[in-house]
Amino acid sequence: MSKQKAQELRTDYWSFHPTDAYGSLGTSEHGLSEQEAQQRLEKYGHNELPEKGVSWTQVLLRQFKNPVSGILFASAIVAGFFGQLVQSIVILAMILLSAILGFYNEYNAEKTVRALRRSVSVKAVVTRNGRPSEIDASLVVPGDVVSVYVGDVACADMRIVQCKELEVNEAALTGESFPVEKTSDGLDIQGPTPQQLTNYLFMGTVVQHGSGRGVVVSTGRRTEFGSISTSLAESRPETEFQRGVRKYGTMLISLTMALVIGIFVLNTVVGHPIIDSLLFSLAVAVGLVPELMPAIVTISLSQGARAMAKKHVVVKRLVSIEDFGNMDALCTDKTGTLTSGKIILQDYWSLGKARDARILHYALLCNGAVTGEKITGNPMDVAIWEYAIAKGIEGETKSYTSVDEIPFDYQRRMMSTVVAKDGKLTLINKGAPESVLSRCKYAETDGKRGPIDSVQKLIDAKLAEYSSAGYRSLAIAYKMIDAKPSYSVEDEANLTLLGFLIFTDPPKKDAQQAVAQLNRMGVDVKILTGDNELVAVKICEELRIPVKRVIRGSELTQMSSTEIRSAVEEGTIFARITPEQKLDVIKALRTNGHVVGFMGDGVNDAPALHEADVGISVDSAVDVSKAAADIVLLEKDLSVLADGIEEGRKIFSNTIKYILMGTSSNFGNMFSAAAASLFLPFLPMLPMQILFMNLLYDVSNMTLPSDNVDEEYTKWPRRWDIGFVRKFTLFFGPFSSLYDFLTYGIMLFIFGASASLFQSGWFVESFWTEVLVIFVIRTRRIPFVRSRPGKWLTALALSAVAFGTILPFTILGNFLGFTSLPVQFWALLILMVATYLLLVDAGKVFFYKICKF
Amino acid sequence: MAPYPNLIGFWAVCISWSALFLTAVSIYLYMDSRKNRKQDTHATGGLGFVRDFVFVWILLGLLGLYIVSIDTGSSILFASGNIVVEALLIAYTVKNRPPKEPKTEERDS
Repeated sequence: MSKQKAQELRTDYWSFHPTDAYGSLGTSEHGLSEQEAQQRLEKYGHNELPEKGVSWTQVLLRQFKNPVSGILFASAIVAGFFGQLVQSIVILAMILLSAILGFYNEYNAEKTVRALRRSVSVKAVVTRNGRPSEIDASLVVPGDVVSVYVGDVACADMRIVQCKELEVNEAALTGESFPVEKTSDGLDIQGPTPQQLTNYLFMGTVVQHGSGRGVVVSTGRRTEFGSISTSLAESRPETEFQRGVRKYGTMLISLTMALVIGIFVLNTVVGHPIIDSLLFSLAVAVGLVPELMPAIVTISLSQGARAMAKKHVVVKRLVSIEDFGNMDALCTDKTGTLTSGKIILQDYWSLGKARDARILHYALLCNGAVTGEKITGNPMDVAIWEYAIAKGIEGETKSYTSVDEIPFDYQRRMMSTVVAKDGKLTLINKGAPESVLSRCKYAETDGKRGPIDSVQKLIDAKLAEYSSAGYRSLAIAYKMIDAKPSYSVEDEANLTLLGFLIFTDPPKKDAQQAVAQLNRMGVDVKILTGDNELVAVKICEELRIPVKRVIRGSELTQMSSTEIRSAVEEGTIFARITPEQKLDVIKALRTNGHVVGFMGDGVNDAPALHEADVGISVDSAVDVSKAAADIVLLEKDLSVLADGIEEGRKIFSNTIKYILMGTSSNFGNMFSAAAASLFLPFLPMLPMQILFMNLLYDVSNMTLPSDNVDEEYTKWPRRWDIGFVRKFTLFFGPFSSLYDFLTYGIMLFIFGASASLFQSGWFVESFWTEVLVIFVIRTRRIPFVRSRPGKWLTALALSAVAFGTILPFTILGNFLGFTSLPVQFWALLILMVATYLLLVDAGKVFFYKICKF
Repeated sequence: MAPYPNLIGFWAVCISWSALFLTAVSIYLYMDSRKNRKQDTHATGGLGFVRDFVFVWILLGLLGLYIVSIDTGSSILFASGNIVVEALLIAYTVKNRPPKEPKTEERDS
């Protein structure tokens, strides 16, 4: 909380009488003068939240913030310094290309979300100089008197000074889906939470019923809404994917540095010229660096983002897509994600064996909702109408004539209507059970009227049962009444209880299927809710989410960090938890090594969205929530999540394929080149040839993001495991080295090759094995032909092999220092490469049996 | 007499070294996985080791074939040896394929 906000809250506006509240904020019921408002605007600033949007330069710069780009930059500079200008330019072009692609996608995503945010223009009705007028909400200042009506979104934090049947939905701030009744009376409480401030209107909350006037207490970032938003300004934690890239970069830097220094020193010691040795060692280093990695990753992510956009998912942060796929724990808020966020009439009941249909009829006759093209009003009254329409019984009350109405008010917590049918008058009363029961003398059981005391225990037990299961109830009572000019609250006495209406916020229709699908995909769904545990358990039962353990916020408070780490593994439901505890749960899961997704749409969800590896929000969410999210679902459809996860896993698979193939075959080739340079009287390959082969290999990999992915790769979440990459490199790298040495033997001892012939032979063998092994390594299936590669990958890889084969016979080949190869070489090469591919395939049997990934 | 006679020794050391390095890595990974899998009851005896390392035995056999055929300069031996080993490897991979595998999913491109 900011100092300024703390200062403002020290004034207990909630405890004042409404008229005193005006004075304490330096205003009156006529509002501020325009001049005073202008001065306050200069003092407090515009009523706006800090934009989380980033500038285009920031988006562009972050494309270069990764270790691989650093290595590539260094390689380009060194290559340029030693005269390898072509290679230097090519490397720089690669970096630039991938950066432009990344920038294009990320900046567009930023713009899309910003446009979404701006599409909601907020106005406020403010009284200044005694005259109400509609102004831009950003111009509202502390002390302004603001009027609110049904459907309005509160533009600032306000002390309510006047209200009529005011009900506000504070779900965006507190997670509570039922509307909260507001009052203008002073409250005698110390250090209240927002939920307790029933005479406050908070920024971002929605007026559901009634109207009111409030004096603005705080604006902008000093509001409750703003303080949450401000906490999001802290830097985002590194995602699992970013951690993986960083570790991979560190491994690569260590390996490259060791090889460069080792090769340079050894080559110099054995007598090779210093400049040649340096260039050769640098070429080997460049050969080891997967230049295309940033481009492959970005192209994969961009393709994924496009595929997801078709499914109405906006990816705000490209880097989060892979974490989306690897996510193994999804924490979600209950309201609006697992439940519809809309109140429905679930059922009704009477005291006897059979349900009395009059309960529904009377509920329709005693109803404050406005019916027309759209039914509006109190959500419970609306729910009654929707239920009746769905059951086709809305017309059954036409035989009644409305005579009078005693409106709802918050003191009585009930309303009554007087209706006439067949010349008889009936007073129907509907309201909060405790209020209605206090006015009932009788209760009707199976059509028979008896004293209410005889059934009081049954009523209390049943109401408690429904309440503990998260239902809200309304009671219906009636009495026959004589005709008179007008009716008043005094007539609401000696009533006969007829029955109760049961309301709930139901689970979403598609949620059950979506949750089951997520479970099948290895994603553990955890519910983090501010609601009570019984409601959450009931939702889980209905969605068939197995509940291992329910943990309440009060229990979490008592736990040490170690205990929380253990509890989060077992817990399925975390009930009655605060936004801070949501953060604790997410942090504990991340510390335990999970890739954590968080889905929420309220203001209170924003910090958790920010903390999670993948923050998922929905288009209908509050702006601050969307701003904090990595991924925004344009439709509130949980099944989209499963599609997105699958897309993320495909992208991750293809990225990992590139890294595994590149690192292992490059490592093998460069290692054999380094070893050969020690005993050969000439360099096994010229620096320019190494760099050219490297470039050609990278081009053959350009279509890897479009490669097909085996189904088993998308079934379970996988992690970026640098240990696995190291083992893979150590194991499959030597296969390549072995066949490189074999080629040396063939070239030296069978063909008695000169330097040029040797280099040509090794170039072709090295290139064939390096490219063709893609088809073996890209799948875990054995034999590898059981997995069908993507058509573009096949086409480009085979074209590259064909190009590499004819290269020694071309002018370009001559320029690069190659020479024609004898026919016998090709025959031996085909045999040798076939054995190599089969041996690597056989190696997979062993490797994947002992190394799980 | 093969050309570059003074290099054959270095070459044999290099190619043997890469094959032996691969064998050593295999043993290391195998032991590491055994250490990590406490519940592993499979392949505990010598027979399991022999069976799990089939590809290593083939690899070492290939190493022998390559050194002999290149030392003698015999392309015929080299070619026929490769063909035999390829047949063995195909039989090995076919025998070790999983019973049923799901489809490969196509990416939108």
